[in-house]
Amino acid sequence: MEAIILGLITGLLFGFILQRGRICFNSAFRDLYLMKDNFLFKGITLAMAIEMLMFPAMAAVGMIKLNPKPFNLPAQIIGGFIFGMGMVLAGGCASGTTYRVGEGNTTSWVAAFTYGLTALAVKHGGLHWILKLFSKFTVKVTPTVSANLYEPSKKIGPTLATALHINHWIVAVIFAALLFWYVFGTKTTERPESKMTWKVIGISLTIVAAFGFWSSYISGRHYGLGITGGWVSLFSSYTKGGLINWEGAEVLGIVIGAFISAIIAGEFKFRVPKKGITYLQTAIGGAFLGLGAALAMGCNIGNYFTGIPQLAIGSIVAGIFFILGNWFMAWLMYGRS
Amino acid sequence: MDVKVTKTIDERGEVCPVPDVDAKRAWKSMKPGEILEVLVDYPLSKERIPANAEKAGHKVLAIEETGPSEWRILIQIGGKEDK
Repeated sequence: MEAIILGLITGLLFGFILQRGRICFNSAFRDLYLMKDNFLFKGITLAMAIEMLMFPAMAAVGMIKLNPKPFNLPAQIIGGFIFGMGMVLAGGCASGTTYRVGEGNTTSWVAAFTYGLTALAVKHGGLHWILKLFSKFTVKVTPTVSANLYEPSKKIGPTLATALHINHWIVAVIFAALLFWYVFGTKTTERPESKMTWKVIGISLTIVAAFGFWSSYISGRHYGLGITGGWVSLFSSYTKGGLINWEGAEVLGIVIGAFISAIIAGEFKFRVPKKGITYLQTAIGGAFLGLGAALAMGCNIGNYFTGIPQLAIGSIVAGIFFILGNWFMAWLMYGRS
Repeated sequence: MDVKVTKTIDERGEVCPVPDVDAKRAWKSMKPGEILEVLVDYPLSKERIPANAEKAGHKVLAIEETGPSEWRILIQIGGKEDK
């Protein structure tokens, strides 16, 4: 019960911020390419840079333990690319689709449905064979450096630090410094109509990420914010019974938090596309998100937002291919004149 | 705002980023001084379309709320070529 309450609180906060900040990685990546606009990308990168220092600090004082995702090169390349294409088709990434469910976008309802259902099928159902094809490539290691940051005697996904055999802090500080340099040292696209500045977006995301990782950890789930596992948990408990887990409650909280935020801002509306075929597009997009996230071992939130700040190599690979898949599909659908 | 609108695009209900892409395509096809009216119901596009229009050298005349989560954006096409 504690897990559900903590997950719900995390989700409510997260949903509120996602809706107010319009935080969609699909937009962030695509705007970079299509509109030469880095506003959202800066907000997300700032959050990642702070988390990169905050997560090991939290682990060092025992609030959490780091748990980088496993590394699986072919699965993360293929899954990442599929997920990246899926966000464009679905009109939103995992977090974008989820918060827009609460905003009343009916196209996102369809996308969230096929996303959750497909992720469940790949993880535990009829499509599990796809995951099995790749399972032999999974790499996990026993940390040889900075072992105090991890759960004792537990294998983890390789990180930049474990691969280079360098203290986690040294790599984290260098990586974070590069991100800070990008964030503050380069020009940012202005968006005067936006309710939140990109700095406020970055900092508020960091607060939710810290609370989320800690509350999830004390509930027995050794990971921070994520979305895919949450939808899987919701669909699984709906079809098979049983309680939802922390992540399921978090996803539920995101939808409710975004709904409340949209109502307050006067931005809730049942949005229906003029052409019915748009539903088919977002349905396929959602299925791509589900398959891609299951293969890449997480969605944009789990990998970009919780994995890369832990220096997980798998998350870095998935993150790169999210962007490439996104750019490819954005080019295919909108980039050509 | 009461102005003579040259072209209207109704982007209500469209999936992200269709409103932004359509708006960009519309202003590229228009002549300096003409007025583009964009109807949107998607909050992110309401913020992003004006920002992109300004960046492309056009003038945002107004962003009016026309209903619950519905907006009317009026853009005057600038003289500068949009790259």
